[in-house]
Formats: sequence, C-alpha cells, structure tokens
Amino acid sequence: MSAVPAARPGGTQRRWLQTPWRFLPIAIVLLIWQLAVDLDLVNRAFLPPVNAVAAALWDMTRNGELAINLAISVYRAFAGLAIGSILGIAIGLAMATSPQADGFFGPLVATTYSLPKSSLIPLFILWFGIGDVTDIVSVVLACLLPVIVSTYHGVKSVPALLVWSARAMGTPHYLVLWRVLLPGALLSIFTGIRIALGFCFVLTISAEMIAAKTGLGKLIFLYGENGAYAYMFGGILAVVIIAYLADRWLLTVMHYALRWHESLHTHHRAP
Amino acid sequence: MNRFIPITAPPEAASAARRGVAALRAFLLYAYPLLLVLAAWELAGWADLVRPLFLPRVISVAQQFWLLLREGEIIAPLLVSLYRTFLGLAIAVVAGVMAGLLMARSKWVNWFLDPLISVGFPAPKIAFVPIFTLWFGIDHVSNILLVAFNCVFPMIVATYHGAASVSRTLVWSAEAMGTSERAMLYRIVLPAALPHILSGVRVTVPVALIITFTTEMIAGGGGVGAALMFAQRFFQTPTVFVYILVMLATGLIFDRAMLVLRHRLIPWHDEIEEV
Amino acid sequence: MISICVKNLNKSYRVREGDLPALSAVDMEVAEGEFVSIVGPSGCGKSTLLYILGGFIRADSGAVEVAGKPVTGPGTDRGVVFQEYALFPWLTVTQNIRYGLEMTGVARREREERVRALVRTIGLEGFEHRFPRELSGGMKQRVAIARTLAYDPNILLLDEPFGALDAQTRETMQDELLRIWQATRKTVVMVTHDVNEAVYLSERVLVMSQRPGQMVAEFRIAIDRSGNRETTMLNADFNSVRNEVWLAVRRQVVAASAA
Repeated sequence: MSAVPAARPGGTQRRWLQTPWRFLPIAIVLLIWQLAVDLDLVNRAFLPPVNAVAAALWDMTRNGELAINLAISVYRAFAGLAIGSILGIAIGLAMATSPQADGFFGPLVATTYSLPKSSLIPLFILWFGIGDVTDIVSVVLACLLPVIVSTYHGVKSVPALLVWSARAMGTPHYLVLWRVLLPGALLSIFTGIRIALGFCFVLTISAEMIAAKTGLGKLIFLYGENGAYAYMFGGILAVVIIAYLADRWLLTVMHYALRWHESLHTHHRAP
Repeated sequence: MNRFIPITAPPEAASAARRGVAALRAFLLYAYPLLLVLAAWELAGWADLVRPLFLPRVISVAQQFWLLLREGEIIAPLLVSLYRTFLGLAIAVVAGVMAGLLMARSKWVNWFLDPLISVGFPAPKIAFVPIFTLWFGIDHVSNILLVAFNCVFPMIVATYHGAASVSRTLVWSAEAMGTSERAMLYRIVLPAALPHILSGVRVTVPVALIITFTTEMIAGGGGVGAALMFAQRFFQTPTVFVYILVMLATGLIFDRAMLVLRHRLIPWHDEIEEV
Repeated sequence: MISICVKNLNKSYRVREGDLPALSAVDMEVAEGEFVSIVGPSGCGKSTLLYILGGFIRADSGAVEVAGKPVTGPGTDRGVVFQEYALFPWLTVTQNIRYGLEMTGVARREREERVRALVRTIGLEGFEHRFPRELSGGMKQRVAIARTLAYDPNILLLDEPFGALDAQTRETMQDELLRIWQATRKTVVMVTHDVNEAVYLSERVLVMSQRPGQMVAEFRIAIDRSGNRETTMLNADFNSVRNEVWLAVRRQVVAASAA
C-alpha cells in the first residue's frame, strides 16, 4: 500500500504554530461565513449563519440528543475499529511469517482491497437488518484491510539482523513474534490503524445515513429531511470535531508508544 | 504478498498448449482461496443451508447479471457513476496539486491551509452529503463536488509532501540559474513532486469511487449506488450481488490501470512498487 | 581443544541470473580461546561464512561443527555482534543488555548485577534508560558488545564490528575488545576489511580470496601485546607482519578487479 503521508503538512517549525494561533485560519473562515450570510451574499435558507448553528448545537447538547446519538455512533465506530484492528494485526502477522497464510489470505486481500466496503451495507441490511450489527460488521471489514496491509509491510521490514540477534540470544520462535516482530512493526501498524480510524467514521456515518434508527448520521439526515438546517449543520460540525479529536488522541498514543523511534523524532512535525 | 506471476515454460517446450496449462496451474495455485469461497458459496446454496433471499445461488447471480446487462441496467448506471467519479477526481487533482504546490512554496498559504487540512483530513466528509444535496440537488453536480471535496485533501497532502521533499540543492541550483518563482513551480517542483502526486492519485482513485457510490446510495440520483439501494429495498438479492460485483470489478480495473499508468509516466523513478 | 571446525564449506546464492557462488571449499579450524580474524576483498564471502557459523544461514554442502556438534541454528553458545549494532530500538540500554539474560533464564538478582557491572564496564553510567536513537555510534557498539557478553557465550562472532565508527572511536573500541578478550579468553572469530585491525587484535589472520571465497593464506601473529597501542603499532615485527598480510589481501583485491 503506497503510503499517503498520514502526517499533516508540517510546514515550518515556528513556535507560534503550536499555539492556538494555529487555528486562526479556521476562525477566519467562520468569520467569512458569518459575514457572507449577514451581508446577504448567500441565501440564509441554504447556509444558516454561524450563530444559528452554534445555537442549534447548544440546544442539541442540552436536551441530550447529541450525547445519545454521538455515543451510539462512537460505540459502533470504535467497536468496529477495535475488532478490525486486532483481527488485522493477527492476520497481517500470520501472512508475514507464514507462507501458507500468505498464500491463503493474500489473494483475498488483494481482491477485496478494491471493493468499496460501503457497497456491502445494503447486503448487510438484508442479512442483519437495520442496527448495530450491520454497522459494526461494515466497520470491521473496512478497518481490516489497511491494518492487515500495514502490519504485513511492517513485519516484513523488520531488519533480519534484529531477528538473528534475538535468536542468537536464545529467543524461541513464538517469542520472536511478540518481542521482536511486533515492536519492530509498531510504527507501520499505528499508521494502518490511523487510516482505519478514518474509515471507521466514514462507514459508521454512511451506514447510518443509508438506513438506521439511531446515530449521528441518522440524526443529520433527519434534520436535513425536515428542513432544520441549522441543526443539520450543527450535527455535521459535531462529527467533524469528534473525528478530529479521535485522530489527535490516536496520534498522542502513537507518539508515546513510539517514543523510542528514530525517524519519528528526527523530523519536526507540526502537531 | 503473492502477486499473480504466470510461470513461463522453459524455452525448449515452446508449445502454446503447454504454456497455457502452466499458466492455468499457476493461476489456480494463486487464486485457490477465491475458488474456495466460490465453492463454499455454491455448496451453501446447493445444500439448502441458507435461504435464497439471503444468499442466492451463484448461477442466479450470473443469470441476473446477463439480464441486467442486456437491459442496459449495468452499463448505463456505471457510466453515470464513472462520469461523476472522474470529473470529481479531475477537479480534486487540479485544485489539490495547485494548493499543495503553493503550500510548499509560500508560508502564508501554508499557514492558512494547514489547520483547515488538519481538521478536514480525518473528518468523515461523507457526512456532508446533506449539505451538498441541499445546495446542488440530487443529480450530478452535488455528487461530483462531494467527490472533489473528499479527494482534494489527500491530493493536497501528497503534493505538499512531494513538493516539500524536493532536494534543497536542486532548488538552489535553479535559483542560482535565475529561475522565476512561476518557472520554479512548473519546471522544478512539479516534476520532482510527480511521483508523490501520482502516488496520491493512485490512493485517491478508490476514494473517489467509494464516495460516488456511497453518495448515490444515500441520496439516490442514478448511478450504480442508487441502483444497488433500489434493489435492496425490493429485496432483489441477486441484483444486489450483481451490483456489488460490478463495484468490485470497477475498483480492480482502476487499481490495475493506475499501476500501468504509473510505470508509463515516471519510468525514471526507482521506487519499489508495493501491492 | 578445537572450538570451531569447518570442512569443505560451499554456499551459493540464488539470484535472477543463476547462481552466485559465495564460498567454495572453505576449511577452517579455531582453537578454544583463540582470536582469529578473517580478511579479504569486498564481497569475498567472509560475512557469509560468519553467518553460517552463527547458524543464520545454511551452507549448501560441507560441515560446520562447534564444540564437536554440528551447527543447526543460532544459539546462545555463539554470541554475535553486527556492524549495524542490531540493538532493539524499542528497548533502553539496560533493557537491551538484559535481553540475553532474560532469554537464558538467569535469576533476577544476578541478572541485575551483571547488567549493572556491564554498564559500568562500558562506561555508560547515566545512560541506562536511554534509547539507542539517543546514543552515538560508539556508544551503540559498546551496548551491542555488552549485550552479547552479558549471557557469557563461549564464542564471539564479530562481523565488522567497528566498521561504522570513525577512526578514533574505532581505535578505542579495538583496545576495549583486546582488553575484554585478554580478560575472558573467549574464542573470537572476527570478520574485518581492516588489515591493521586484524593484525592488531588477532593471534591468527586468515585471508580469503575473491568470490567465490576460499582460504588462501594464513598468518600467525606472534607479537608482544603486553605494551600499549603506541608500542605495538610502532613495533617493527608488527609492521612487517601487517605488511605481509596487507600484500596478501592486496593481491586478492587486484585479482578481483582484474577478473
């Protein structure tokens, strides 16, 4: 899998980039948005002003609607991500260390790689009905592939010398997996999980918009159907914020777990 | 990961039949898991383990495929979807490459776009479907723009990384030889960043396809996605399978095409090709 | 006592164009406690020989025996130090040194004592909890050696251990190694392309031909190492032996480029 650079464009290393000043452009965009509506450059019906969206967001939070649906969506997304990641690491590990596993899973992975997993949502609705199972299964399948591929490549790139040294020092075969291959592949694995994190939200929201009884996607869709556009925008904003925070959290975990890694710490990356 | 490599017979046994058999054998050895899945599918149907509503017989899916093909229900929606995908992708590539190059060369552009991309990249932009349908309706435009919206982010990031990694000494040499900023962008930075950009396109094409299909599933308005949802609503399972396979085939073909394209366009680049 | 015995070893690598011969009918014997160096032109297969001794790759034909038993794979009787250090980057200095002791089941108290003593020996007190990425090349190499010595293997296999270091660090590390060997008298087989280093450290130097590698010359180094580096390097005997070895290797290098 050719790596889309998963890091954000770091740009320069100026100190002030690290502070809240960094988000000033977003504030500028919001300001332009508000002005455009207030000055009647854009039709209010199509673009509710920022303050209306904020008010709607506040209302949703207050009456618990946001919290409940957010929790449901996050539960589905993360459950799928967890299951998909664990399975993906296991399969990737197996494929990288066993030619038989590689021969079995390899063609399956290569073929299903190009299938948009959201295309399976209607099928799962047929099979499992509308609800958590459909969503979670879709998410699992979407998260599997990036984690499998990145684990595979990570394990394969562990330098042979490290494995040789470990064996020379008396490491039995099964321990080599746990003490050498997995740590050696950790950066790659995390990169795959980060990609899967992006997917898990997309699949959850997609499934909820296609057909669901609960969840943020469903909420946003409903508001849209009923013409409550400020609420609709608010819901979308909530989704964007949650996905962003989840990504940051994963990055923090990743940087801690990989604090020993050479290349992660020689480049300067804007957070 | 195993790649399908046809075994070529030794030069002495040049008979076409022998080569054909060898190739078939290699294919079977490689694709046996897929054949196993197919066999399991057929077995489940034959032994009546599942109701046809959930898992139709392989033959009925094949029959449905021919039926739909003859009635034009495959090509027409596919062309609609592909039209949207490509247009959206084209917009995203042009806008993304320009933005990425500018970000790499101008710190102000970088400062402005960076947080927007940081926040936008991890966001599930499919959530914006209701906004786009509100603004642009259900037909082509909203779909195309949503595809572009989704794809511009990875394109910017890929271009930026390509442009930012142009070796300093290359740029300095060009500056010393009196290259203007505009020429720098087009004649130095862009070609040097081309491998990254093409990598970005390769990764973005499946995204474009997915967004097209998913948007059609959510909002309707023609295309394979809408046809798939339609079939699901009326419990026409064989049709559902047919459209899923159509999406799979489309994805596979495009992935292959991208590989070929990459080799043709940048033969000088010695990056090791991965799966 | 013969520690290592190699008879009629052959090894080829399979590459796209056919077979690339690496070793051809190699014979070698190393006595217990002996320090032997293997030198030769680049690509002659000396590292391949070392990897076979270590049990990481298998020869095509021939016999390799260590302490009378055939080599079937890597083992804790043969410690290896690679040119690229091969430290586990996710483990700290002490964790790296401790690793072999954990694997060989040494009790915790003794383990910690040994680790502490080794850290002191290699002069890295204060760096116990650093990761390899925070260490210089010389420090990394010292940790690599300490890690290998920790669990007390009988034999040390060194693959160009100082090749990645700058000249001054290299000299310091060579003296370190000499000191350790004189104190512990382990059997050492060292592969190096530096003739100076080979003659400075070893009791015997084996010269390999260009690819496919064969043993073509053997030199006994009987110089007085009781002094320090200055006296040894300026010693006339040392220089004459060194020149002979260099010439032998040089001939192989020239033959390699003429081929």
